Amino acid sequence: MLTVLPGPGTAPLAVLAAAPDPLTVDLALAGLTVGSAAALSGIGLVVCHRATGVLNIAQGAQAMAVAYLLRDLVVVRHWPMWPAVALCLLVVAPALGVLLDVLVYRPLQRRGAGPAETMVAGLGVFVLLIGAAVLLWGAAPLAGAPSPFGGAPIRLPGRHGLRPDTVAQLVAILVLGLAVAATTRWTGFGLRLRAVVDDRRLAALSGVDADRVSAAGWAFGTFTAGLVGIALAPYLLLDPYGLPLLVMETMAVAVAARLRSIPVAVATGLGLGIAQAELTRLRPAGQLLPLVEAVQSNLFVVALLATALLAGPRITGEERTVSAPLAVRPLGVGIGSGGRDGAGDGGRGRLAGTVCLVLLLLPFGFRGNDLRSALLVPALALVLLSVVVVTGYGGQISLGQAGYAGLGSLGTALLMSGRVPGLPALPAGPALLLAVLATAPLGLLTGWPAIRRRGLALALVTFAVGTAMSRFVFEQPYATTGLLLERPSFLSGDRAFYLAELLLLGAGLLAVRALHRGRLGRALTAMRDHEPGAVAAGVDVPGLKLFAFVVGAALAALGGGLTGLAGRAFDAASFDPVRGLLWFAAVVVVGADSALGAVLAAALLIGLDAGTVAGVSAVAIGVLATAIGRLPGGLAALPTSRRPGGAGGPASAAPLPPGRLSPAGLRARAAITARLARERQP
Amino acid sequence: MNGRLTARGIVRRYGGIEAVAGVDLTARAGRITALIGPNGAGKSTLFDCLAGTARPDAGRVLLNGRDVTRLPAHRRVRLGLARTFQQIAVFPTLSVGDNVRVGAEHRQGRTDPRAVAAQTARALDLLGLRDVAAEPAGSQPTGTLRLVELARALAADPCVLLLDEPAAGLDAAQTSRLVAVLRGLAERGLALLLVEHDAGLVAELADTVYAMAQGRLVAAGPTAAVLTDPRVAGAWGART
Repeated sequence: MLTVLPGPGTAPLAVLAAAPDPLTVDLALAGLTVGSAAALSGIGLVVCHRATGVLNIAQGAQAMAVAYLLRDLVVVRHWPMWPAVALCLLVVAPALGVLLDVLVYRPLQRRGAGPAETMVAGLGVFVLLIGAAVLLWGAAPLAGAPSPFGGAPIRLPGRHGLRPDTVAQLVAILVLGLAVAATTRWTGFGLRLRAVVDDRRLAALSGVDADRVSAAGWAFGTFTAGLVGIALAPYLLLDPYGLPLLVMETMAVAVAARLRSIPVAVATGLGLGIAQAELTRLRPAGQLLPLVEAVQSNLFVVALLATALLAGPRITGEERTVSAPLAVRPLGVGIGSGGRDGAGDGGRGRLAGTVCLVLLLLPFGFRGNDLRSALLVPALALVLLSVVVVTGYGGQISLGQAGYAGLGSLGTALLMSGRVPGLPALPAGPALLLAVLATAPLGLLTGWPAIRRRGLALALVTFAVGTAMSRFVFEQPYATTGLLLERPSFLSGDRAFYLAELLLLGAGLLAVRALHRGRLGRALTAMRDHEPGAVAAGVDVPGLKLFAFVVGAALAALGGGLTGLAGRAFDAASFDPVRGLLWFAAVVVVGADSALGAVLAAALLIGLDAGTVAGVSAVAIGVLATAIGRLPGGLAALPTSRRPGGAGGPASAAPLPPGRLSPAGLRARAAITARLARERQP
Repeated sequence: MNGRLTARGIVRRYGGIEAVAGVDLTARAGRITALIGPNGAGKSTLFDCLAGTARPDAGRVLLNGRDVTRLPAHRRVRLGLARTFQQIAVFPTLSVGDNVRVGAEHRQGRTDPRAVAAQTARALDLLGLRDVAAEPAGSQPTGTLRLVELARALAADPCVLLLDEPAAGLDAAQTSRLVAVLRGLAERGLALLLVEHDAGLVAELADTVYAMAQGRLVAAGPTAAVLTDPRVAGAWGART
C-alpha cells in the first residue's frame, strides 16, 4: 500500500486564501491576493494576444522560470532583492519574450501558420522551459521563494489587514491597465497594433513595423508572466510543474474576457479570487464536504472548464470557423508509418519498426533501476498511442490524455483494493481490464466538446478536463490513502512484467493499426484532412470523433494502469496535466500519425532522462517543437512527406476493377482524358 | 438515380435578420437547376439548409418526397444528396482514388467492398482520373481537384447533386470540360442544383433558374426567361 499526497508544489490556489477570520471583508481581502495575481495573468494574456494574435500558452512556464531565477539570485547568490527583481522583470523576462518572438513565433506568422501549429510551438516553449528548469534547478520542490513585499499587513480602517504584496499587485494592475489603455487610445501604437493583428502583411505594406509590434507584445506577455510568477511563488514550494499549472488555471480569466477585454479579465480575476476565499465559509456536513472543499480549493479549474465550454467553438471570435488548417497535421521527423507497408514507404516503415523492436528488447538486458525505469516505456507508449489515435489519426487536439491515464491507474487501484461499492477486491488482471472498460466511455467528456470545437478552443477544453480530473479525482484523500496496487505473483519479477507489458503494447499497436486501415481509417483521415468534406462524403463526423476519443481514453487508461502496476502505486504526480502537455508535444514532434512514433517518443522521454539527467528529454522535445516555425511547411516538409498509403493515409485495399460507363459517361471521359493529356504537356 | 429535391418555405435567420425569407425551390431529375443572385442574396444560406449544414428556422426540405429537414448533413449524403464546395474540399493526405472511395463507401446500404470498388472505379473513369488515382490528392492542380471532389460526390451514387460555384478557379478549358460532365450527368437522370455567379455558365447549362435577392425569390422559371427578366437583370445583369 502506498499513500500519495499531492506534492506541495501543486498546492491549489486556495492555500493562499486560507484565512482564519471568517469575517467577510477579511476573506475578500485575502482573496484579493490570488485574484490580483490572476488578473495580472489575464492582462498579460489579453495584451499579448491583442498584439500578436497568439495565446501565450507557455505563460505558466515563463512565470515559473522567472520565479526560479529570482529565487536563485536572491537566495542562492545573495543578491539584494530589488536589483534582482529589476533584472528578472525588466531585463530577463522581456528579453525572453523578444527571443521567443524572433526565434519561434515570427517565422510561424510569416508563413501564415495555422493556430494548431502555433499552439504546438507554444507547447514547445512550455516544455523547453520546464526541461531547462529541471536541468538547472532539479525537480525537487524548493522552499523560500523570495517575496519583494514581505512584512506585516497594512492596517486598514475597521481593523482589517491587507498584505503588502497584494497592495503591490493591485497597484500593478492599475498601472498596467491604465498604461495599456493610454497606449492604445492616445498613441499611434494602438492603431498599428490592430492593423498588425488583422493582417500582418497588409500592415507591413502600409509601413507598419509589424515585427516591432509583435516583439513588444511578447515582451509585455513574458514581463507579466514573470510578475505573476514572482507574486505566486512565495506561497508555494517551487517546483517545475506546480507553478506552471497554477498559472495555466488562471487562463480562465483571459478566456472569460474572450482574450479581448482587460476590464473583464481584471474583474473576473479579482471576482474569482474573492469568491474562492468566501467559499471557505461553506461547511456542509456529510458527504458533500469533500466536494465542496475541492471546489473551494480549485475554483479556477472550475472556471477554466466553464469558460472554455461556454466560450463555444471560438475563443476569440476571430478564428475562422471553416476548416482552417485545424488538425495538428502529422509533423513526423523521419520515421515511417505505423507498420503499414504502403507503396514506397515500406523501407522506412520497416526501419522504424526494427528500431522500435530493438529499443523495446534492450531492457531485457537491464537490471535494477534501469529495468524499473524501462517498465515505464511500454506503459507510456500506450498512453502516447492514445494521442496518435485522437490527434494524429482523427485530427482532434487533446491535451487531456494524462487524465484518462490517471483514471486507468486509479481505477485499477480502487478495484484491486475493493474500494468500489458492490465489487470484491479484484486481482490485477481483471481490475486493469475493468478500469479500462470503465474509463473508455469517459472519453466522451472530451469527445463531446470536440464535436463543435477545434484548434485552440478544443485544446483549452481538453486541458481543462484533464486538469479537473487531476484536481478533483486524483488529489482527493480517498484516492491517495489506503490503495493497494500489486502485480500478480507470476509477474512480480520486473522482467516478467516487462514481457507482459510488451504483449499488451503489441496488442494495442495491432488494434490501432487495424483502426487506421480500410473504411474506418479512410474516414478518420478524411475527418482530419477536411471536416466539412468528410461530412459531404457521408462520414458521420460527430460519431467518429466520439469514437476516436473513446478509443483514446481506453488506450490511455491501459497505459496508466500499467504505469501504476509497474511502480506498484497510484501516483497522482505521474498524471499531472503539465506532464500531459509534454507527452502531447513529444508525439507531435516524433510524428503524430505514426503508431510506432508513439513507441519511439516513449523510449525517448524515458530513455533520455534515465540515460542522462532528468529534464534532457523535455528540452529536446521542446527544441524540436519550437522549431516547427523554422521549417517552411513544418516538420512535415522534411523528406518523409506523407504519401497516400504511406505515412499519411491508410493503404488502398485492392486494385480497382474497370468501371462501366454509360454512353454519356464515355463521351465525357474521352473529352476529359484528352484535356488532361493536353494539360500535362508543357 | 432519379431524384427530386424540394424546399418549401425555407426561413433562416441570423440574429434577427432573415437571410432566407421563405423560399420554395425544386430540383428535378434530369434537369440542371441554377440558383443565382447577388452577393448576400441568401443563396449560400439556402444551399446550406438544403445540404444539411444549416438548419432552417422554418420550412421543410424533401428528398424524393421524404422529409429530411431534421437529418444531419451526413445522413442526407447517405440517402443520395451529394454536394461539392465552393472552396475545394479534398483530403490531401489520401490518394485521389481513396478520396473517391471515401465517398463510395458511406452510401446507405452499401457494405460490399466489391460494390464500393466498382462504384469508385466508375466515378474515377467518368472524370478521367484513373491515371492519377494512386497520386496523393495534395499534389494535384486545382482543375484536377475540382474533378476529384466531383468524383467523390458521384461515387456515392447520388440522385441529387448540389454544386456550389463548381467553376470557381477553373480556366476556360476546364470549365468547358465541367460543362460536358454536368450535362452528361443530367442526361443520366441526376438532379443538379448549382449556385453560380457566372451568368455565362448559367445560360449555357441551366434548364431552370431561381433568382434570389435579399433572401427572397425574385424570379423563377426557364433560364432564358429569368435571365432576361428586368428584376433579375437589375440586380445581376451587369455580369451578363
